[in-house]
Amino acid sequence: MKKPMWKLMALLLCIAMMATFFAACGTTESEYEINYDIDLSQKPKLNVLMPNSGKSIDEVNSAGTAQLIQQLTGYEVTYTQLPAADSSKVLNNELMDKRDYQVMKLTKDQFSDLVKDDMLVDITDALEVFAPDILANISPESWDVVTVDGRIYGIPERASSDNIENMIVFNQDLLLQNNLDIPTTLDEFENVLKVLTEKIGKPALTFDKYSPLVYTISAAFGIYADWQEYEVDGQTQVLYYMNAPRYQEYVEYMHKLYKAGYIDVEVGTNTAADAINKFINGQAACFAGSLWSVPSIITGMQAKGTISAVEAGGTLENYLGYLRSLKENASDPEKIYRASGYTYISAIPFYQAENAGYALDWMNSKIKDTDDAHNFRSIVLGEENTHWTYSPNEGYLPVSANFAEKDDASYYLTGSNETVYTEYWKARVRKQPELFRAWSILMENADQVGVYNVVDFTPPIEDYNSNRSAMEEYAQDQFYIMMKDGTGSIQEFLTKLNSQQGGKKATDAINAWYAAYKK
Amino acid sequence: MTSTLRSRVHKHRSLIPFVIPAIAFALVFCYLPMVGILIAFKDNPNFGRYDAFEAFARAEWTLDNFKIIFSDPEIMRYVVNTLIISVMKIVILFPMPVILAVLISEVRKQGFSKMVQGIVFLPHFFSWVVIVGIFNSLFGMYGPINNIGVALGGEPIYYMGEPGWFRWLVVILNGWKEIGYSSIVYIAAISAIDPSLYEAAKLDGASKVRQIWNLTIPLIMPTIMTMLIIRIGYLMDAGFEQVYAMLNSYTRETGEIIGTYVYRLGLGTGSRDYGLSTAVGLANGLISLLLILCANKLSKKTMGTGIW
Repeated sequence: MKKPMWKLMALLLCIAMMATFFAACGTTESEYEINYDIDLSQKPKLNVLMPNSGKSIDEVNSAGTAQLIQQLTGYEVTYTQLPAADSSKVLNNELMDKRDYQVMKLTKDQFSDLVKDDMLVDITDALEVFAPDILANISPESWDVVTVDGRIYGIPERASSDNIENMIVFNQDLLLQNNLDIPTTLDEFENVLKVLTEKIGKPALTFDKYSPLVYTISAAFGIYADWQEYEVDGQTQVLYYMNAPRYQEYVEYMHKLYKAGYIDVEVGTNTAADAINKFINGQAACFAGSLWSVPSIITGMQAKGTISAVEAGGTLENYLGYLRSLKENASDPEKIYRASGYTYISAIPFYQAENAGYALDWMNSKIKDTDDAHNFRSIVLGEENTHWTYSPNEGYLPVSANFAEKDDASYYLTGSNETVYTEYWKARVRKQPELFRAWSILMENADQVGVYNVVDFTPPIEDYNSNRSAMEEYAQDQFYIMMKDGTGSIQEFLTKLNSQQGGKKATDAINAWYAAYKK
Repeated sequence: MTSTLRSRVHKHRSLIPFVIPAIAFALVFCYLPMVGILIAFKDNPNFGRYDAFEAFARAEWTLDNFKIIFSDPEIMRYVVNTLIISVMKIVILFPMPVILAVLISEVRKQGFSKMVQGIVFLPHFFSWVVIVGIFNSLFGMYGPINNIGVALGGEPIYYMGEPGWFRWLVVILNGWKEIGYSSIVYIAAISAIDPSLYEAAKLDGASKVRQIWNLTIPLIMPTIMTMLIIRIGYLMDAGFEQVYAMLNSYTRETGEIIGTYVYRLGLGTGSRDYGLSTAVGLANGLISLLLILCANKLSKKTMGTGIW
């Protein structure tokens, strides 16, 4: 082929490509409006997009709780779930394709992302028309979390209970053998680790790669939560933990333990399951993790033969010991992180505005909990005497034979009835005696010692949300590096955190919000 | 050559219907999407809310994405990491499949040769996540590799957490997974060599090594060069999936590559910056193009063969 011919063809090709591209640019957006003129008795089929359940979607759709919800609400619902990995990416793709979902149960991050891109229906006015029970049973504080510029974009699902859930679990048997008590101060802790390390011949303490702030230990340095108030130069300010005044001391303490060989070398690459397994297998004598690992620890100990099935069904005072926080000096007041916030937010994609009425009606009837319709109680707890009994002193108690049927209940919630949820939920920790014992130890005086993470209560704040994952990842990486190599480069790391990783932007945005929120 | 386009088209007209699907495929899936490069010059279009074209039209034109790339000192480090890992992979791993192919083709017993092929192909079909999981256990502090090391009197090494080890592990894992599969092309090339050449060489008294060195290698050289040039075209891609599965807090410094960086930028939570990640991709593509042009030129000059 001759050269000019090639050129001509290439040119034509380019023009054709550009033409197809720009020709389509002229399309205008169609209007999406909430339709108030609907007949709620019609109850059309709904499609609901859920987070990953870890089960097959057939199981999700056929589960008892799903059937129950259909009975109670009258709506036939098909659930679809996001994959476990890359869920936000898949969510975006589904929305770009305008898939037919009337309701989506989103994480707070996903919600923030979608609000920013203007992809959710503004339900402020529709709530009053279609969802009176939702309005009555969700607190103003919770509505703030889903409100942007005075408009509401989702239904918040507040955590079932504000738990103190971070702890270090000790192998109590080993402590007893060595005449050790559960430590309360940093010095005692170091000594306990020393003895235990010598005893088992391996580093005594393990945790996983997602725990750059071991709350139990950092509490001794005045760092309780990821974002909290600090006094800096006479001013009260909300700071990220890496910027906390005593962060360096915390890392240096961890570095000291690491250098001395008391901390598992592999913490930087351990998954949560790795860390728990090391504890169960005796490759570590204590494990920093969360209350929710207790059931897997018990299952693991039983599988390994450390405890019998009968023991596993009772409390395990002789095997497990719990520590929620360390202090610098024995006389210091105790403070520790108390988890809260909003696990999920349910929202409606913009292109489904027309059906928003049905979606809200469905969610409203799930949250309803009145004397004539205990819908919410049925979903969360099941039926009296079948799944639970009520004792005036202890509250709701699980009927152990059937209570496992309600294990998946919280997965199906779309917003929680805050008036009653915490009371119902306690039946859940009572299910396993050892879990309840651990919970009770951690929750002692919770109102006095608990410190909340300020960002658990934020609405979407763009400067924070868009930098959050970069900051967290960076802080996490640098912690593990400094724990290994020391804090020599900490100033450089902090500068990077606050400039390149957006730390300063996020901090400013959070403080601006917090000033108004505190009032 | 005086044949014009018209006469050549006429001569081969019966073949034209067969290339139409290929051309259509290339146009729709390779050339048309290239227009998307323009996103690199846009201020983060909102593809979620609006359809692709409207989102594109709404976003502002800007050069900020490129300014960010060239002002971020971290990016240079990712480029360097990418190049080091890629070059290590080429230098260490590229000759391996050739050697393996020669060895396999010299095996006399058909059954044994087939079995070896099957075994070395197998790892190619595992996903990276599975392979990295297996290696994490093997190379773990309490894993067999360290147990052997300790038994021989050494100290256990935390392989997965050593920035210095990371690139080597990447190369070792990649080799283990892909060498067998990559050798297919060379095995095919070797089996296409005319057996009478070997017979002649044997009559001339050439030893086995001589036969390989003076016959097999030169005869499959065009294949080797083609594969090498293609491989160099992927120089800026150090194996995203593998590195992503292997990275951790300790090894990000030596292990973060352009691919994983673009992924974090474009698809990480709360940071869906399509404009910026397209810009990085575009810069990456331009460098790859440059590399492949150079490699081809070099190959033509020194070996007399090239892709075009």
